[in-house]
Amino acid sequence: MTDTTPRIYVSTKRRPKEDGRFVSGAGRFVADIARPGMLHVALVTSPYPAAQIINVDTSVAAACPGVVTILAGPELANATAPLANAVDTPGVKIFPLAQSTVRYVGEWVVAVAAETRAMAEDAAELVEIDYDPMPFVVDPTEALGPSSPPVHSDHGNNILYDRVFTWGPVTDDFTISPHQLSFHVRWGRSATVPIETFGVIAEWGAGNQILDVWASIQMPSYPEQIASSLKIPLNRVRVHYDVDVGGSYGVKRGIKHTILVGYLARKLSRPIRLIEDRLENMTGGDMHGPDRRFDVSVAFDAQGVIRSLKLRALEDVGAQTGRAPFQLGKPVSAIVGAYRINSVEYHATAVSTNKTGQTAVRGFGMSPTNVALEMAVDKVARYLSLSRLTVRRRNFIRAYEFPYRIPSGSEYDSGNYHTVLAKARDLSNLDKLLARRDAARALGYVAGIGLATCLEPGGGNSAFEPLLNPKNETTTWPESCAIKVDRTGRVTATIATSSSGQGHQTLVATIIGEELEIDPDQIQVLHSDTLSALPGNTPVASRMAIMLGGAAAGAARKIRERVIQIGAHNLGCGLDDVIYCNGRVVRVGYGGQFITLDHIALIAHREFHNLPPGLSEPGLQAIHVEQVPQGGTLPKSDGRVQMYPCYSFAAHMVYAEIDRLTGKVSLEDYSIAHDCGTVINPDIVRGMVIGGAAHGIGAALYEEFVYNSAGQLLSGTFVDYVMPSAHEVPYIRVAEHCTPSPLTSHGQKGVGEGGYLGAPAAVMSAVNDALNPFGVECLELPLRASKLADLLAEAE
Amino acid sequence: MKAATFEYVRPTHIDEVVSELARAGTDARIIAGGQSLVPMMAMRLVRPELLVDINHVSELTGIGKNNDSVCVRAATRQADAGRSEIIARVVPMLAAAVPFIGHNQTRNRGTIGGSLAHGDPTAEVLLVAMALGVTLDLRSEKGERSVNIKDFAVAPMETVMEEDECLVAARFQPAPTDLRVTAVVEEVAPRAGDYAILSVSAEIGLDLGGFCRHLRLGVSGATPVPFRPHMVEIALADSLLADDEVDDAVHLIDPVLDPESDVQASAAYRRRVAPGLLGRAIRTARDRAVVSLV
Repeated sequence: MTDTTPRIYVSTKRRPKEDGRFVSGAGRFVADIARPGMLHVALVTSPYPAAQIINVDTSVAAACPGVVTILAGPELANATAPLANAVDTPGVKIFPLAQSTVRYVGEWVVAVAAETRAMAEDAAELVEIDYDPMPFVVDPTEALGPSSPPVHSDHGNNILYDRVFTWGPVTDDFTISPHQLSFHVRWGRSATVPIETFGVIAEWGAGNQILDVWASIQMPSYPEQIASSLKIPLNRVRVHYDVDVGGSYGVKRGIKHTILVGYLARKLSRPIRLIEDRLENMTGGDMHGPDRRFDVSVAFDAQGVIRSLKLRALEDVGAQTGRAPFQLGKPVSAIVGAYRINSVEYHATAVSTNKTGQTAVRGFGMSPTNVALEMAVDKVARYLSLSRLTVRRRNFIRAYEFPYRIPSGSEYDSGNYHTVLAKARDLSNLDKLLARRDAARALGYVAGIGLATCLEPGGGNSAFEPLLNPKNETTTWPESCAIKVDRTGRVTATIATSSSGQGHQTLVATIIGEELEIDPDQIQVLHSDTLSALPGNTPVASRMAIMLGGAAAGAARKIRERVIQIGAHNLGCGLDDVIYCNGRVVRVGYGGQFITLDHIALIAHREFHNLPPGLSEPGLQAIHVEQVPQGGTLPKSDGRVQMYPCYSFAAHMVYAEIDRLTGKVSLEDYSIAHDCGTVINPDIVRGMVIGGAAHGIGAALYEEFVYNSAGQLLSGTFVDYVMPSAHEVPYIRVAEHCTPSPLTSHGQKGVGEGGYLGAPAAVMSAVNDALNPFGVECLELPLRASKLADLLAEAE
Repeated sequence: MKAATFEYVRPTHIDEVVSELARAGTDARIIAGGQSLVPMMAMRLVRPELLVDINHVSELTGIGKNNDSVCVRAATRQADAGRSEIIARVVPMLAAAVPFIGHNQTRNRGTIGGSLAHGDPTAEVLLVAMALGVTLDLRSEKGERSVNIKDFAVAPMETVMEEDECLVAARFQPAPTDLRVTAVVEEVAPRAGDYAILSVSAEIGLDLGGFCRHLRLGVSGATPVPFRPHMVEIALADSLLADDEVDDAVHLIDPVLDPESDVQASAAYRRRVAPGLLGRAIRTARDRAVVSLV
């Protein structure tokens, strides 16, 4: 299947609508918003991984200049409900400020509100807290054991989630397969690190009794959780979506921040702002992503065909649950990756430790799992002395098999994995790359080629919620768009989300432009607020091209239908006698007699007498709430579930050299071929793919939140939490392929995560190809230079 | 990350600088480029009561050469040192080190004297100063004194400067002019521009026969402060710097090494890699000098 649909704006290279305001410094971020009389918050945090709070003395701090109030945990907990837990763990009660116990270094204990942030910090230093240190646990395997101190004593132990899923005849498949391999993979605790830390302003309106919230937010059910924790009706919470978000990819959650300032705003009747500084962000904010250990077993035959997979995933979610355990759920949606694996056993365990709580990160747990899966395929190839491409080709789902249902229940909509892999091979000029590697090796260099593929599920239903928590019956996760055509024919669309750089205004304008055949630059797209917005679920899970795109197309098609009705009526003919073309309704065969959209808009708004009979509603507007394609059903009892409608695919090829002395990895050549169905905006897609790969290179080589055995975070600043810069990320070549999704408005799929899902596995593949001649391997991310050098030295 | 309250003065003459320091007693800090001091103040790791800004003291800026030394005044920007023809010609090891000091943007602010006075053991300027045996001129209200670098940096982040003293200049011995001189800095850092895990420097001078008649070396990251490995310099003096000679000689530093482990690398890694990196720097410098001989 190839895409030959003629299009005007979709897939056309056009400058994203948002570029102008960001390039000219005209963005509007939380820090740009100043409310009259606004107070600022600083936090006093725990220096212990676990301790009883014996006494809090705020008397000296309270007397500091500019201090308005000092808030400790018990007062806040009495006035609010606990923050939501993803899984069913009623014994885990989290409030923004610690009550009687602290559970990790950096946990908030006391909040100081003052006239300036500096004044608040001056006072925060003078708050005196007496602690009685308690036993704690840092290692997740130890945390599983019965003798481990429980992080949440009311929960009884540290196991927050534990289930073994069996999909298909795993035991039989392992028995009949002639070969089996088992190994461990470790994904280090890393994250997405945005330029802008989390920030929020809350203001309680004495007149309208509404809590206004401006936040750097990317979080589903944010207003709902605010209302529920603050115990106010949802229609008194107004989250403003017209706030630019300076980076997120999952981490901009900030619910505890918002409950804290929301409470203070109501208590003090003054606007309150909390903008994390980098230390607060890295230590006590929503900043730590998956931290996962895998035990992997594969059963396969002499041709390298993999029959069955056993995956044990142990996720260290730290001390605060939030949505973290759900990150074990999303991988179920593509548990076999691009491969026809017949059966799978998936043992998912989430364990709490005395570390900063885990939050969502790009791919929502998929990237670690993909590393485990891709290393299994590499190992099968190496074991059988087959090429890694060959083994992948033999295991790939064939193009003619779509739609294809995987053992865990999801149906992949479309794809052509063999073709995309061939494009990656050609783009990387693999034969030359092999020659280069072998020549480098002959000169004594440590050199390797990496290869990884990945599935990117997009447009989800949040079906991992009912899968991991039976009390949660979520089966839809809609997205909306409202379009109004004003009296002059100008088009304005309203969307129910804020954006963290994904280009939703471009997306919506392009799709409406395509449907109404008008220039997207002339279309206004507004971010609304939660009280005026229709249902929305925020830009998570690579869903907006699919879901917001679908909503925009749905609303635009309703407008178009109405325009044609009014046009035909005013041209004095039937609906079958007209076509809609370039913003005009044209009567076919009458010398080009037509009526413009502008004129039709005027009729709709002002000339009721010219509306066709049966059209009783004046104006020209439409709303559309898009249901998730393939959604609507609960998981079956064995955990089979349709999770995501659309499945993008990518193949990464990378050539790496490792300095034998220092262990430094240099990525010398990088190619990606990908298929996200129909591309809406080529620049945005390219940015997502390359940016995602850079993000993945960070997880692969550099980034880790490291804890020592005393429970202290050792990499809480950018000195030690190292992200790749322009020096470290190579030039990345990109090739596209288009297998349209049959389920979406224009054949589009998701693309926000694929770069990040492929790169860590590809880099690990390259490094291990380089290490292979030395008889050593490293399956622990990040692949630090010192670790690799130590391995090479041992091998010699 | 807001600094604690402080007073701020911006004198224009060095006399005022030292009198401000004398007036403030123990709680004053000099600020030049601020690339290290400002983040430390923002994190409240240091909290001076008085900041003496020397950016407007013209006597403290500039690079000059007389017969027996090159004088780099303390507030000279690292970027300016990197662009200086005098430095490139006469202090090639410093020129080779500049690209490793942070990034362009930080070098436009950061100063040579600031790096030295701050005493961060990973600072490339300190490595070079140690390898070249730089002399530092210090001044206070009480008078002036000169200190050799090896007596100056006594521990990580600790120098012999008194609280009322201002670093005025660093004086470098010029490299020999009758030899083919090249200099190389090698570094292991998590990323380009980061604090080094290990860094080494080598400045060599070959005569027309290819014999090494001048050798200055520095090693940083494997001892509390950078050091100059005299034993290697002596072992390789007047040699041809053949690979096996170099590879043997660099291991003379092994007994001196006393590294620590951190997030980025183990002590064992530093101990193992430091001599190898030093050997690489010497061989690279030799190869470049040999090319220039041909």
